[in-house]
Amino acid sequence: MTMKMERKLIQGDFIPRADDELIVCRCEEITQGEIRKAVYDGMFTMNEVKRYLRAGMGLCQGQTCSRLVQNIIARELGLAPGEVEISTSRSPARPIQMKQMAKDGVKK
Amino acid sequence: MKRYELIIIGAGPAGLSAAIEAASNGMQVIVFDENERPGGQLFKQIHKFFGSKEHKAKERGFRIGEKLLKEAEDLGVEVQLKAAVMGIFDDKEISVMLDGRVEHYRANNIVIATGASEKMLPFPGWTLPGVIGAGAAQTMMNLHGLKPGARVLMVGSGNVGLVVGYQLLQAGCKLEAVIDAAPRVGGYGVHAAKLARTGVPFYMSHTIKEADGDSCVKGAAILAVDSSWQPIPGSEKYLEVDTICMAVGLSPMSQLARTAHCEMENNPLKGGLVSICNKYGETSTPGVYAVGDVAGIEEASSAMIQGKIAGAAISFDKGYISEAEFTTRYEEYQNSLMQLREGMFGHKDKDSADTEHTEEGYTLSQSLLSKGYMEAEEIGEYPGIYPAEYRSKGVFPVIECSQNIPCNPCQDACKRGCIKVSGKITNLPSVDTSVECTACGMCVVSCPGQAIFLVDETLAPGYASVAIPYEFYPLPEPGSKGLALDRSGTSLGEAEVLKVQSSKAMDETAVLTMKVPVEWSMQARFFQVY
Repeated sequence: MTMKMERKLIQGDFIPRADDELIVCRCEEITQGEIRKAVYDGMFTMNEVKRYLRAGMGLCQGQTCSRLVQNIIARELGLAPGEVEISTSRSPARPIQMKQMAKDGVKK
Repeated sequence: MKRYELIIIGAGPAGLSAAIEAASNGMQVIVFDENERPGGQLFKQIHKFFGSKEHKAKERGFRIGEKLLKEAEDLGVEVQLKAAVMGIFDDKEISVMLDGRVEHYRANNIVIATGASEKMLPFPGWTLPGVIGAGAAQTMMNLHGLKPGARVLMVGSGNVGLVVGYQLLQAGCKLEAVIDAAPRVGGYGVHAAKLARTGVPFYMSHTIKEADGDSCVKGAAILAVDSSWQPIPGSEKYLEVDTICMAVGLSPMSQLARTAHCEMENNPLKGGLVSICNKYGETSTPGVYAVGDVAGIEEASSAMIQGKIAGAAISFDKGYISEAEFTTRYEEYQNSLMQLREGMFGHKDKDSADTEHTEEGYTLSQSLLSKGYMEAEEIGEYPGIYPAEYRSKGVFPVIECSQNIPCNPCQDACKRGCIKVSGKITNLPSVDTSVECTACGMCVVSCPGQAIFLVDETLAPGYASVAIPYEFYPLPEPGSKGLALDRSGTSLGEAEVLKVQSSKAMDETAVLTMKVPVEWSMQARFFQVY
């Protein structure tokens, strides 16, 4: 799934859209406008947008919004959604408390 | 670290079927599931399934779940609930969040059967309380006995939207409309017809513009879209609803496959990002399999067969069954799977299907595709419609099955052999006029699409009886009056209930026989209580 992308900032000014206030990532309350702005700031992949805004880092771990975020990035860059590099999948696949993590390998 | 021969992630239809197959061959199997209850989505499915006997057709989903679970337990499969698998690591090791700690397990083989999650559609107001997924609606109604709302808008006309829409009606909600941005109903016509005849309007080529309300949903604005999905100005409609139910598709939950470094592909036919599997379900990571919705969105019936195929392949690979045994089973399962993928809604044909004709050459009802019901003048030519010249004999069945879907319980339902699905399982059923109908009603209740009716135009001079499948409580009393509705849900006028048959074999689908003027005999298809 890795691909190289032309690293050139989008030329021209960021033009606000009427629906920029729309919340896309419900868990972290990230709006469409913030994601669009992030792309203008040079965030071209899902991982970058995630680290920049925390979109997809909430309770549902991007289960609901990752496709939506992917579509927005694609639209801004003029790509097909499948051409936008998706976030890395790594353990833990579900939210976990630090104290549970700390008990890894500790005998009952 | 505990070791097992086979670890299965997900106790839904695919995972349990894989577990049963492997355990029945003698393998030591553990199934992990993050939920409190096993069965995946099966326990929310209160409708009768499609398919043939071997696909457990005409059984209700939750009963299939109960059977799978019992079978797995009897075979000694360990099912570990409330156990969220956190990741799959090298050498088929997994970490599991279990009982407040992280545990590690290792297996010779892993089956990923994590299912799918619901897609969402963002629109202004979509974060308001009252906007829910179809899965949440099912959880509320069918697991917890709660009504999701009083007046509901269903967004999405695929089988999920249609089936959940019907369950909302059963729960006592008012379904204000089913909308879909596509120009045609996405799910089975028979599922749509069940809703339309109760009076639910279908707005195809419509999308939701916004949810209205400050602290919860008070209404929904919908508008029409043109063939390039652009809103048509001036087409806006306002629906007073308190609940907006989203059924806009599913996406495979493939994160764990990615942690196992499986090679992935973005496949729109399979619903999104899926691991690339061989014909047995094995991913590019040797020994790691993916089955069910996580490998491509399909029905639960297909998921069960995919699970069995993976279970058999693993059993063969580890020497628990011979090559000859495996070949026999694989062929049997594969044939069964291919049957389910036939027809206009099949896995392969979903987008390329002919929307004008059935495979046999019958004209497809365009009204069914755009409005959710067949016009009276369209039904005449289908082979399940009893020919007019034989109708004076007495009771006769009317099978309003007009699309190629993989389903045939009707032919076994009639012990006298009046109904036949010849050739492919997707062929339309036909009626044999030489067989005398005894009006037992078993065909009416066996049709998972509720598309079979019994009509008697000789009831009394000027009157006919129409027997319909009926699944709403309380059941009307014989002698009570109500309205006879036609296929579009429009009232024809008053009807009287003659009898209501219900028995264990009918499995909660009652046969309601109503008396109507004879000229409505081929129109009256629903009874509405006053």
